[in-house]
Amino acid sequence: MKKIAAVSLMVTMLTVALLVNARPLVSDISAPPIIGSTIADFTLADPSGAAHTLASLHGKNGTVLIFIATQCPVSNGYNERMEKLAQDFKARGINVVGINSNSTESAADVKDHAAKNNLTFPILKDNGNKVADMLGATRTPEAYFLDAGNKLLYHGRVDNSRDVTQVNSSELRDALEATLAGKPVPKATANAFGCSIKRGAE
Amino acid sequence: MTHSAKLIHVRFVLGTVVVIVSILLLTFSAAAQSKTAHKPRSPRAVKSPAPVRAVNAEEMQALLKRDGKRPLLVNYWATWCDPCRDEFPDLVKIDRDYRAKGLDFIAITLDDLVDIKTAVPKFLLAMNAKMPVYLLNVADPEPAINMVDRDWSGALPATFLYDNNGKVVYKHFGRVNPGELRAAIEKQVGKSQ
Repeated sequence: MKKIAAVSLMVTMLTVALLVNARPLVSDISAPPIIGSTIADFTLADPSGAAHTLASLHGKNGTVLIFIATQCPVSNGYNERMEKLAQDFKARGINVVGINSNSTESAADVKDHAAKNNLTFPILKDNGNKVADMLGATRTPEAYFLDAGNKLLYHGRVDNSRDVTQVNSSELRDALEATLAGKPVPKATANAFGCSIKRGAE
Repeated sequence: MTHSAKLIHVRFVLGTVVVIVSILLLTFSAAAQSKTAHKPRSPRAVKSPAPVRAVNAEEMQALLKRDGKRPLLVNYWATWCDPCRDEFPDLVKIDRDYRAKGLDFIAITLDDLVDIKTAVPKFLLAMNAKMPVYLLNVADPEPAINMVDRDWSGALPATFLYDNNGKVVYKHFGRVNPGELRAAIEKQVGKSQ
């Protein structure tokens, strides 16, 4: 009996040690969908546990999905800009939806963070980072603009600088304005430095 | 139980205890390391790190050039990036272990220019870091990110290993796996010396 107990304890310890040390490689993440491809519907829960589909949240003229974080200083530098974007475009038929895929940040964290920072747009908790994987998202903040038919028109940064006083190009906003004006998006992708999305097993 | 069976039993139990204790020690030392990672390593950490120099995208590109002699490891990080801070002790050890064996290593921070004489050197001092550190100071980060690697979104940390001719032979986005990185470095050091 002692032997069995010792063996099972050892197996448990080893499993725990392996799980603790498992670090998913970002390089294993699939590439993001190409511009022009259609994004499949998905279902995620908000911090209160209510499930939402992309179809139920999308605006009549399009949807902006932004991967955000509660702890990343870059993402937090964009809180006011993201809220303003949501306010500015809601009446014009484009909805902003936040997605938190960090395994290190709980639904309760997401709820508190949104309340403290006056974020009124819906924020969904992406447990197991399945939507981040589907969209090849790697950092926060990282935005995806989908048209009325969920076709990807823009993927990348919100603008060029996390310091709002240094902003001189706003690619995401430009993409929305161009689309609403019936024009092609001037720049369909743009990168910026940000925090890695903390992926976890679940 | 026979004598030999007893002996096997005792050895087995002892072996099990040793394994469990080792795992516990490893787990706790790793946890302790990550908790104390941001504090100065007194009393050995005495020397100030070399001043951090601000570079633009062109200057950064020049830093990545190789002349056929030494491979180069480059780590992009920032003091505001938690996984960057967590992995830094591993990188400092790698620098210590491989510089004499022929590896060049530079760290490029994406901190704000205002932190170049404060938060950045403070962190480097705490880490007892000796590698040259530069601060990329650009109004628009995109050209620099794309110049480094087309697959890179700009997520931090990011680590690249170049061979002595400047070709990327290993890259990793997110916190490094030190064993994997060391294995990649081993293949490069001493190649053309």
